[in-house]
Amino acid sequence: MNRFNHLPTLKIDTAQKISFIHKGKKYYGAKGDTIATALFANGIRIFGRSLKYHRPRGLYSLDGESSNTMMEVDGIPNVRCENTALKEGMVIQEQNVKGSAENDMLGFLDKLDWLMPAGFYYNVMHKPAKLWPFAMKQIRKAAGLGKISPDFKMPGKYDEIFLNTDVCVIGGGPSGMMAALSAAKKGLRVILMESRPWLGGCFEYRSREYQNRLTLHERAHQLSKEVESLENIRVFTHASVVGTYNNNLVTGFQVGKQKDVFDERYIEIRAKSVVVATGCIERPLIFDNNERPGVMQTGCALRLAKTYGQLPGKKAVFSIGHDLGLEAALELHDLGLSIACIADIREDGQDPALLKKISEKNILFLKGWVAVKAHGRKLVKQVSLSSIDGLVKRKFTCDLLVASAGMTPVTGPITVAQGKLKYDTHTGFFLPDVMPEKMYAAGRIMGLEHPLSIETSGKLAGLKAAFDCGNCSIQEIGEAKKDLENLSGPVRGTKLVTAPVKGRKSFICFDEDATIKNIKQAIGKGFDVPELIKRFTATGLGPGQGGIPGHNLPLYVAKYQALPDISIKPTNVRPPLVPTFISTYAGAGHQMFKITPMDEMQRKDGGVFRNIGVWQRARYFSSDFSCQKEIENVRTNVGILDGSTLGKFRIYGPDAVKALQRVYVSDMSKIKEGRVKYSAMCTDDGCVIDDGVVVKQGENDFYFTTSTARAGQTVEWIRYHTRYDGWNFALVNLTDSMGVINLSGPNARKVLQKIVDMDISNEAFGFAEYKEFKIQDTVPVRAMRLGFMGELSYELHVPSSYMKSVWLMLKEAGKEFNIQNFGVEAQNVLRMEKCHIILGSESEQRTNLLDVGLGFLWDRKKADAKTVGAVALRQAENDQTRLKLVGFKMENNGRVPRDGSLIVDTKVRGYVCTARNSFSLKEAVGMALVEAPLAKTGTRLEIFEDECGDHRIYGKVVEMPFYDPEGKRMKM
Amino acid sequence: MKEIQRISPVEFKTSPLKTEKRNNWEVVMEYSGEGGGPYLVDLSHKPRFDLQDAGLAARKPFGIGIPETFGSSVLENGILVNRMNRTQVSLYCLTGQDNTGLPDEPGFTDVTESTIFIALIGKEVFSICEKLTALDFMNPERKTPFLYQGPFSHVPCQIVTLSRDKETSGILLTCSRGYGRDMIHAVLHAGEEFSLKPAGENRFTSWIKNL
Amino acid sequence: MALTITCPVCGKRNGYEFKFGGEEKGPRPEEKDLTPKAWCDYVHMNQCVAGVQKEWWFHKDGCGSWFTIYRDTTTNLEKEAGLANHQEADKS
Repeated sequence: MNRFNHLPTLKIDTAQKISFIHKGKKYYGAKGDTIATALFANGIRIFGRSLKYHRPRGLYSLDGESSNTMMEVDGIPNVRCENTALKEGMVIQEQNVKGSAENDMLGFLDKLDWLMPAGFYYNVMHKPAKLWPFAMKQIRKAAGLGKISPDFKMPGKYDEIFLNTDVCVIGGGPSGMMAALSAAKKGLRVILMESRPWLGGCFEYRSREYQNRLTLHERAHQLSKEVESLENIRVFTHASVVGTYNNNLVTGFQVGKQKDVFDERYIEIRAKSVVVATGCIERPLIFDNNERPGVMQTGCALRLAKTYGQLPGKKAVFSIGHDLGLEAALELHDLGLSIACIADIREDGQDPALLKKISEKNILFLKGWVAVKAHGRKLVKQVSLSSIDGLVKRKFTCDLLVASAGMTPVTGPITVAQGKLKYDTHTGFFLPDVMPEKMYAAGRIMGLEHPLSIETSGKLAGLKAAFDCGNCSIQEIGEAKKDLENLSGPVRGTKLVTAPVKGRKSFICFDEDATIKNIKQAIGKGFDVPELIKRFTATGLGPGQGGIPGHNLPLYVAKYQALPDISIKPTNVRPPLVPTFISTYAGAGHQMFKITPMDEMQRKDGGVFRNIGVWQRARYFSSDFSCQKEIENVRTNVGILDGSTLGKFRIYGPDAVKALQRVYVSDMSKIKEGRVKYSAMCTDDGCVIDDGVVVKQGENDFYFTTSTARAGQTVEWIRYHTRYDGWNFALVNLTDSMGVINLSGPNARKVLQKIVDMDISNEAFGFAEYKEFKIQDTVPVRAMRLGFMGELSYELHVPSSYMKSVWLMLKEAGKEFNIQNFGVEAQNVLRMEKCHIILGSESEQRTNLLDVGLGFLWDRKKADAKTVGAVALRQAENDQTRLKLVGFKMENNGRVPRDGSLIVDTKVRGYVCTARNSFSLKEAVGMALVEAPLAKTGTRLEIFEDECGDHRIYGKVVEMPFYDPEGKRMKM
Repeated sequence: MKEIQRISPVEFKTSPLKTEKRNNWEVVMEYSGEGGGPYLVDLSHKPRFDLQDAGLAARKPFGIGIPETFGSSVLENGILVNRMNRTQVSLYCLTGQDNTGLPDEPGFTDVTESTIFIALIGKEVFSICEKLTALDFMNPERKTPFLYQGPFSHVPCQIVTLSRDKETSGILLTCSRGYGRDMIHAVLHAGEEFSLKPAGENRFTSWIKNL
Repeated sequence: MALTITCPVCGKRNGYEFKFGGEEKGPRPEEKDLTPKAWCDYVHMNQCVAGVQKEWWFHKDGCGSWFTIYRDTTTNLEKEAGLANHQEADKS
């Protein structure tokens, strides 16, 4: 096809060819083409097939309001071809076709529409019930556009930015640019979002005179130059807004240019004030076959020529309802399009200047006429026109039908921000009635068409937004208001909704193949308001989010029911206002995990890492996930564990003890220096949430540990429960400050003794004692003797930056004993054998301190402290209905049940917390929370595993702990 | 027995050109291929303290008056004092030989080991920041130097903006030490399009001197 | 997140920096002579105001303070103290 290359409005460069593959064949487009315009330039008219009836679909608008031109591009399904720039080498496939879009073997479905009335899948195929599974499969196969495999990985680069601004202007047309300029000139920070790749809006492609021989597109150019020259306006082109929310949060995404580092980036803007200048789209004209390829909107036909340099057809019929249609017909006529007829819905009210030109060019012009049917099986070949009343009909031969009923303001950004619309009889629009706080509408969205009115309304909105930021006076706003009042106001709009047709093939929603007949069926069944009709017929549920059916649906519903006034509202639109890739929302997708100072060393030693909460930790040190060697090494020799994730805190100040008394169940006033105090924290319900140790480091100065999972909430917790008291204490989170090395096993002392200078014999440094010392007079270490694993064990708290050095020293010192790493899973089994609990494993949200057998920690004589949980514990003390933690072993040396298996008889009686094959005991043991009657030693436990059917396994309640009941080993 | 060494939570892939031994830290003074800015400098070896006191007004850490307004900072004698809230300030020792010890007064905690400490310097700094946080560094109501306590790449941070003046723009950032690896990855990734490169301490020292 | 919260230390910030701490219910009651029901009411019963309520928030990603704000639960917008629906006097 020969393309124009001389028009001043062109956005393509025909000299630069871009090749692409469509259905395996190579084609060329021009630089600046979208995929859709490049396909159209190559004579491709049918882009795909419709969802339900497999009707041929083609180019209709150019802004992607429907799924007509969604295609699979480079393996990505549902790419909006009208909004996607053509790139070298793109591979494009049709969607929803069996065969090809040209010859779709499922095309016969269009004749079976009578089998598929509105909501047919709710009504049919349910009886007989046996049929349903088969029918369901068929429906699921047919449903949805585009194909995606479960292991599909989205290609491309995605990014995100978070912006703050004074004023955010949505829409880079003349009113949006004026709003941005007037706010920016007040010294404010302005962000301008435009969904097309360039500024200019409805001025940008039109050659009509603006003022003083300046054309509209020249004016657009002028404004955009000025906008781009101001440093305090940030312009985002090819950037669609997808949501507007409370407190003027605006979200959207920008499509990257070739040189950008992203394909798409998510944009989140927090503005003080917002201007919505989104303009209008066209209201589709409804008649038979109104979506047949060859039927398109006026803006689409005109922009194909003026922006993309190609005539939309050879011979055209226009069926329009507004002066823009006349303007487009004239411009296209001058560019060489032959026009068989212009049918104008309006009997009168046309711009006399345009009428004069039409008659000068001898174009047949019919007033009060409208298209009733497009003929042609796949493409438009003929068009039937009719007088509005349906009395007279005429047929014209053509390959292009330009059809448009009127305009629809793009109110999505207003309504998703909870603004309200109201029907306006003059414009025939649903106009913004109640605006969200600090949000202003401007331009064609208000029904304005005169260029000066559009601009002035933009200026006014910009000033109002500036006023919200405290940078504009009331007087100035008054003046701008007066200016606007002196210009021509909103134009009268056509009220026609549908041509005089029965509507069996008149589509109100292209995405979901919903016809006028379907709407009538829905109303006939009693679904009489748009929101219900939308659900029943799926009208407006498609990716276009109501772009095509948008305002036609409420207007038709009002008309069909002969409602006295149009109190009916358009259906709610919801974010995303335009289809958005999930990967765009995901943005840069940085993974943020914490690692310990030993991360690298442990990876080198073969650690198998897992994400555990905010941390990445070494769970295993071999591919044997039962950890037999790691466990046996600790029991018989010495192992080294990285416990750095443990929560660590300093609390000090005159009221520090009071704060500790509030959150810990034990009496914290009696902590002796040099001793380790173990205690627990509960919720107000007495449920145990944390345990750890506290050591006293000075007068009113303590160091304490929490479980890994609780470290992030500890400061919050203590401050929360003391928020009314006005106590004077300070908390410092030292979790990341100190690494923790756990040295465990009978040889632990021998290893440690080699790197420390002081006496660490059992007499000098006994069980549950705390010591501070320096390694080589340099590294300050806080050491505790604990027995979580049930062996002789030292917990060394070392400043993080020194961790590697100390770790290496211990490894070196332990070489003669063959010291080994052990991971979190080995630790889990070791402590389980000792029946030491881990909160979250041996407890859940409802488990209290007494249930897990930690009641001995609770000091009842400190009511004055108002200890969190104490009241509830007192109440729970005599409660016989609570679960109890018990130890059990499997009968007849049976296999171990999975964690979380249920304890049952005729009912659920409890569950297994942790159970493992114990290498130390040579049998399967575990802990379970069971109802009190089952807690007695010797009770047989019936265990139900997930998906085990009727099969049960059995255990027996035994005394705890399983390993070293006298506790000699950890004290040796 | 091995030599005792302190390891920074920040690790760059580029190779150091010049290093200096300081209190068991191996401080990188210059990296290869530092480029023309913006720069990312690891300062994790610089001493940092936490000071909490119900009566902060009466305190003068290192002889420096504490700013009264929450979120404002003051840089004096190479020490940055950031007012965090009613009872708390954070102190960063930016210059010198990093041998400022913990003052022997109540209320101080050494938190050097708690966090990573980095500087982002160069005119594109705030373009990098807006890819990682919704915090408004260009807020005209804030006067430099000022402190933000808020999320940066989803992680709670302290961020001090020292300058917003084009070429000399720069911020300091601390976050939990454990996030070091992923934070550096996120910052370098966000800064890639602006040619952000790891740089040695020398870049930082000459920048801070010229502020 | 559209919600913004005004922290008395850090100023107005995105809602996701904060953690909700429940309605304002006053300090912990004295434990002496406290009935189980009175305790349970204090811990678990809420006014669930459809309108403006006083409530606690924690600046988790920021300065780490607990503070109260007034928020309209029907619009999710912060409000001035004077607009609170429930009677503060009821509490004392």
